[in-house]
Amino acid sequence: MLRARKPARGLAALPLVLAVVATILLCLFPAVVSSPYTLHVMILIFLSVVQGESWNVLGGYTGQYSVGHAAYFGMGAYVTIMLLQFKGIAPWYGMWAAVAAAIVLGLVIGSITFRLRGPYFVLASIAVAEIIRLVTLNWKEVTNGAEGILLSGVPPLKIGETVITDWSSKVPFYYAGLALAVLTILVNYAVQHSKLGYYFQAIREDQDAAHSLGIPLARYKNIALAISAFFTAWSGAFYGLYVGFVDPSTVQTVEVSVSIVLICIIGGIGTILGPVVGSLVLVPLAEALRSNLIADGLFALGLDPTSRTGLFLKENLAHAHVLIYGILVVVVILFMPDGVLGYVKAVTRKRATRTEAA
Amino acid sequence: MIVFLQSLLSGVLVGGVYALIGIGLTIIFGVMRIINFAHGDLLMVGMYLTFFIFTLLGIDPFLSILVSIPLMFLLGAFLQKVFINRVLNALPQNQILLTIGLGLVMSNTAMLLFTSDYRILTTSYSSGSVSLGGLSISTPLLLSFLITAAITAFLYWFLLKTDIGQAIRATAQDRDAAQLMGINVKRMSVLATGLGAALAGTAGALISPTYYIYPQVGSAFTLKAFVIVVLGGMGSIIGATMGGIIIGVTESLAAVTPFIGSGLKEAVVFLLFLLVLLFRPAGLLGKSRM
Repeated sequence: MLRARKPARGLAALPLVLAVVATILLCLFPAVVSSPYTLHVMILIFLSVVQGESWNVLGGYTGQYSVGHAAYFGMGAYVTIMLLQFKGIAPWYGMWAAVAAAIVLGLVIGSITFRLRGPYFVLASIAVAEIIRLVTLNWKEVTNGAEGILLSGVPPLKIGETVITDWSSKVPFYYAGLALAVLTILVNYAVQHSKLGYYFQAIREDQDAAHSLGIPLARYKNIALAISAFFTAWSGAFYGLYVGFVDPSTVQTVEVSVSIVLICIIGGIGTILGPVVGSLVLVPLAEALRSNLIADGLFALGLDPTSRTGLFLKENLAHAHVLIYGILVVVVILFMPDGVLGYVKAVTRKRATRTEAA
Repeated sequence: MIVFLQSLLSGVLVGGVYALIGIGLTIIFGVMRIINFAHGDLLMVGMYLTFFIFTLLGIDPFLSILVSIPLMFLLGAFLQKVFINRVLNALPQNQILLTIGLGLVMSNTAMLLFTSDYRILTTSYSSGSVSLGGLSISTPLLLSFLITAAITAFLYWFLLKTDIGQAIRATAQDRDAAQLMGINVKRMSVLATGLGAALAGTAGALISPTYYIYPQVGSAFTLKAFVIVVLGGMGSIIGATMGGIIIGVTESLAAVTPFIGSGLKEAVVFLLFLLVLLFRPAGLLGKSRM
């Protein structure tokens, strides 16, 4: 026992050191790389990490899959942007209204469905996200409907009279995104290692056992949902300010909800690093498809760009990222239900036992 | 008053088709305890199938169901054998995600193949109407309702009176007991999915003369199908039939209600869904099974 535990303890410090080193390197990154496109991709990765880690608190640790997180994401983006654009309220105040709205929305869904057993929560989460989307589309006087809202600018962030940033480059967004990503990762760490988190995980593993131990199921599921909605709304606000435009089809559709789930599924549900791995897979993949890198790569490998397949790929791969998401979901669920992280772990464990046996 | 009656009537007619969608979903759920999130996308496939049979071969949409029913049955059976069968014992969440993934693949493949343009299938009777006691009924809607009624009646007969139908119902009631009684539950799962897909495809064919056809049309119907099934009690075929009619009427009346209108009629349906979950989560008919 003792001998087995000692190296494990030494190893336990390693991830912490790696995490700190990675964070420091990421902080220095904009000083070295100034390409706006690279920074853009990094910001998208941070956004995706924040979305994934937020979903993970509810879906990963508590086992309540929401396929309606676009509701909270869209709420965060819309409320922040509407308050800024129409009322002139600075986003760092407006954000709180957005977060509050998202939490209230989450608690409404939660208090209706968490008393029930079965797939009702998933169904209700989608239904509510659709209600929100339809209301946004049709309540044109307030939300501008399908046209969306174009932001005319983010006011400079000041402390006292000193201007911290005027948001004119990608760098401030980079640091804001990095800070949010680190924060949500820390939240997941805290959830995994706290009493609250043990309650969540007990509920995920066995509801009846958790209930018989005196854990109020509905209350703790609602707490997980509130935490999740809180950070998802933040990510929405961040997205809205960064892109400077929101409309129902980019922030409120079922596809948005599915892509948030996908970040965790690909990486590994219920692990701290899962959403990070998922983001590192999905964001570059989506970017490569969008910029036709994959088609170009196939041409470089010898596929004739003027042939029928070549033309078809060139024309369509850029729009195919949702199709590829769909294929990824199917493949991952069938062949690596624990995500990339779980798959890698299983493979290395197998190899380790094989070498031990040999 | 005349507007009210008119909407009520067209609600019932549309509701018939909704019932067909709901029955398909409820059969799949009953036999395998899996919620098919790709149900609306199967309906979309049925719509495109009908559209191309009509435009390329010139076969009437209501006649084309004779072709599309067996094709959709095969598609459903294929999806069950290759994909869904592998997750029968997986976590419910993973089952849901798998069918969501399948749905995304279907709708986005359709988008690649047929672009996201809205297509309209216009028949000679598309804008025709029959008048009945002062109310006018759209001809395609009436025809589709009559066909729906015939199919539903046939389905009830099939499930209640034939051996295979009873085996499907037995599997839905208790999978293990059914297996012990010598029922091939694996085959029943394939049959149920095929049947569900065929019903979704038929519904798609029947509404194609009155709806826009586009790759993303399915997701709205998937959601509506859930609402119908939960409203009627999950797994209950009679419930799904009633649920379909109720949803059709609700939607139709919401569309003519001031301040709601046709843009928000679906939001009203989803709101109704939340109310059902709040007050009567077992569905209107309680926990009855098939």
